[in-house]
Amino acid sequence: MIVDNRIDFETYWRVEVRTVLTWTDEEQELRKAVRRFVEAEVAPRREELEHGDLAPYGIMRRYSEAFGVGDIAIERFESSLRGEPGPAVTAAQTLIPMIEFSRYCPGIVTSMGVSTSLTAGAIIKGGSAEQKERWVPDLLTIAKVGSWAITEPDSGSDAFGSMRATARPDGDGYVLNGAKTFITNGPDADTIVFICRLADGTEERRYATFVLDRGLPGLVQSAPLRKMGLHSSRTGELSLTDVVVGPDRLLAPAKKKSGPATSDRSSAMATFVKERASIAAMALGIIERCLELSVDYARTRVQFGRSIGDFQLIQLKLAQMEVARLNVENLLLRYLRQVDAGVRPSLTEASATKLYAAQAAMQVSLEAVQVFGGNGYMAENHVEQLCRDAKVLQIYAGTDEIQVSQIAKDLLRGRR
Amino acid sequence: MNIVVTVKQVPDTWAEKKLDAADKTVDRVSVDNVMNEMDEYGVEEALKIKEAHGGEVTVVTMGPAKAVETIRKALSMGADKAVHLTDDALHGSDALQTSAALAKVIATLSPDLVITATEASDARGGVMGALLAERLGLPQLTQARKVTVDPAAGKVSIERLADNGYALVEASLPAVVGVVEKINQPRYPSFKGIMAAKKKPLTTLSSGDAGLDAGSVGLAGAGSTVVDSQPAPPRQSGTIVKDEGDGGVKIADFLAAQKLI
Ligand SMILES: Cc1cc2nc3c(=O)[nH]c(=O)nc-3n(C[C@H](O)[C@H](O)[C@H](O)COP(=O)(O)OP(=O)(O)OC[C@H]3O[C@@H](n4cnc5c(N)ncnc54)[C@H](O)[C@@H]3O)c2cc1C
Ligand SMILES: Cc1cc2nc3c(=O)[nH]c(=O)nc-3n(C[C@H](O)[C@H](O)[C@H](O)COP(=O)(O)OP(=O)(O)OC[C@H]3O[C@@H](n4cnc5c(N)ncnc54)[C@H](O)[C@@H]3O)c2cc1C
Repeated sequence: MIVDNRIDFETYWRVEVRTVLTWTDEEQELRKAVRRFVEAEVAPRREELEHGDLAPYGIMRRYSEAFGVGDIAIERFESSLRGEPGPAVTAAQTLIPMIEFSRYCPGIVTSMGVSTSLTAGAIIKGGSAEQKERWVPDLLTIAKVGSWAITEPDSGSDAFGSMRATARPDGDGYVLNGAKTFITNGPDADTIVFICRLADGTEERRYATFVLDRGLPGLVQSAPLRKMGLHSSRTGELSLTDVVVGPDRLLAPAKKKSGPATSDRSSAMATFVKERASIAAMALGIIERCLELSVDYARTRVQFGRSIGDFQLIQLKLAQMEVARLNVENLLLRYLRQVDAGVRPSLTEASATKLYAAQAAMQVSLEAVQVFGGNGYMAENHVEQLCRDAKVLQIYAGTDEIQVSQIAKDLLRGRR
Repeated sequence: MNIVVTVKQVPDTWAEKKLDAADKTVDRVSVDNVMNEMDEYGVEEALKIKEAHGGEVTVVTMGPAKAVETIRKALSMGADKAVHLTDDALHGSDALQTSAALAKVIATLSPDLVITATEASDARGGVMGALLAERLGLPQLTQARKVTVDPAAGKVSIERLADNGYALVEASLPAVVGVVEKINQPRYPSFKGIMAAKKKPLTTLSSGDAGLDAGSVGLAGAGSTVVDSQPAPPRQSGTIVKDEGDGGVKIADFLAAQKLI
């Protein structure tokens, strides 16, 4: 590696860096393959997805089939029922499609993630064998659309503390009441995981999680809410008025007594860590695309007799975008390499990654609009959409402020 | 069925194609390279035939070290194994030499069926299938928009694309079949396929390994040489016809003057 006291950069680059913080051959291949799908199937429908009424589920299903994603998920699910490990899914296989879809429509990632990971995941975690068989396979293959509902009009960051939705025991079943809002896929969901307070709950059990089907009497799913961005994902309200459910819809409580006390906390942490890494993947897609479009525009847009890329103020923007891109990519690759090596990144690190990536995507996309000038403000230019979409990364999966307090709390406790 | 499918790595369809300034060969270094798009249809057809009749699909390519990316793509799609003929000495080989080299490799695989695309998007010679068939001494069916094999009868029949329909043509196996884009919709490599590709058998051969005589391949021994090339002249700005109520007539006159109507 060191020749005549100098680093042999060619070897250094090829061997050391490539294997550590660059994409592996398989990962590149995955990126190319998904990008091709996205460019063929998503890019031509972007207008309809973002400004029309095209729901994303058909594209999600095609993607799942084209790459065998649903099949692998089903195999894993069936193996897990038998207590076997099943085929491996690498973190890269999960995150790379998020990057690639986010280059065009981050909303599809949200919709797909909520349905196949969050909703199906909650049932896999808390469901009996019967409940899993009943709801999970259709969610994994996207034959059915799922929602996961915790947020309420008066309960957001403080999701459990301020929660009002309740389940009142009634015979051997329950009566559910409450309102949920900002629910991804809410208008279209066939299967809803509904989290609420247990009336007369005990110290052991304050909250309960139910699985609801579309059409249950008393359950109303609103039309899509109008929002700032992420239009390719449909977001709605759920209202429950005296919805009567049997015990067959109640998922098992988070285990408190049985098993080591840490196992539940540990599994919740694992979910947070994964969710936060996926925000970084989405951020990277947005940043990459904004940077490419901005560089192109800076090369070709002529003002004052020169391409605007000749102006140092524009150069500064492009350079800062590239710095952000490298940083987010590095954080993501660091995450991937840790997971590959069997190490779970700490929650602090995942929070820091999410916080940085979300802010970087916001800054980069705002600057991309600026590089485009008046064109950037016009909906026909993609940067306009990506800029509106980027904002949500600072809000969901824990707001920036919640990430900050998480990081600071751990630092002050002397933990990283 | 033992199926061989030929693939070629070419400069990205959308990239500006250039010739190397020094030796006038296609510049494959400074551009993104991809699998020749038409070859994807060949690979897809090979996989479909294998899925229907069993057997094995072997990908064969001749090209620089980087062409292994194209091999990996075919393996990700589902091909079983690959042979990569690669050697600096092969650089600059023309179609005749390439066909001789490929035929030598393919013959060792004793295929029942060899599938090629109609042409590669870089050189667009469109002769490789015919050259291979001749060198292998096999019948060739070209422009197939549908392929049906009957291994028991030792027959392959195709619908051969024609201007105003198709012709039904058949040949005895083994045979060389050239496919057109209409034939199928190539699959995306599945995630499992991508992960499995690296573990599939890949044989890398130098020209010596393949039993090729050093003098017979490469730029120096090529039968044809690119002497010079010029970029296409930039498109001329068109004629603007101002419509003063007689636009239709003016356009008709224009077309008539060009002898187009
Ligand atoms: C597009 C979209 C899709 C969503 N999808 C879903 C879904 O599928 N299911 C679901 O259940 N929810 C969903 N949500 C809701 C999302 O999880 C919440 O919006 C998020 O948790 C923030 O809650 P809130 O909106 O009530 O904001 P609030 O919690 O009211 O926050 C308002 C402001 O106060 C700050 N703040 C709050 N607490 C603190 C504190 N302790 N310290 C410092 N600052 C604080 C916040 O950071 C924020 O800036 C979605 C939201 C959006 C925008
Ligand atoms: C909603 C809206 C309403 C509008 N209404 C009107 C209207 O009513 N009438 C009208 O005539 N126009 C109107 N405009 C046009 C507006 O005035 C222009 O968009 C603005 O002047 C910027 O020009 P531009 O969009 O061509 O961007 P450009 O000038 O192309 O700028 C692109 C980028 O290059 C940068 N740049 C350009 N030159 C330099 C330099 N020398 N040094 C450093 N950076 C440079 C810019 O700051 C910007 O970041 C409107 C625009 C919008 C968005």
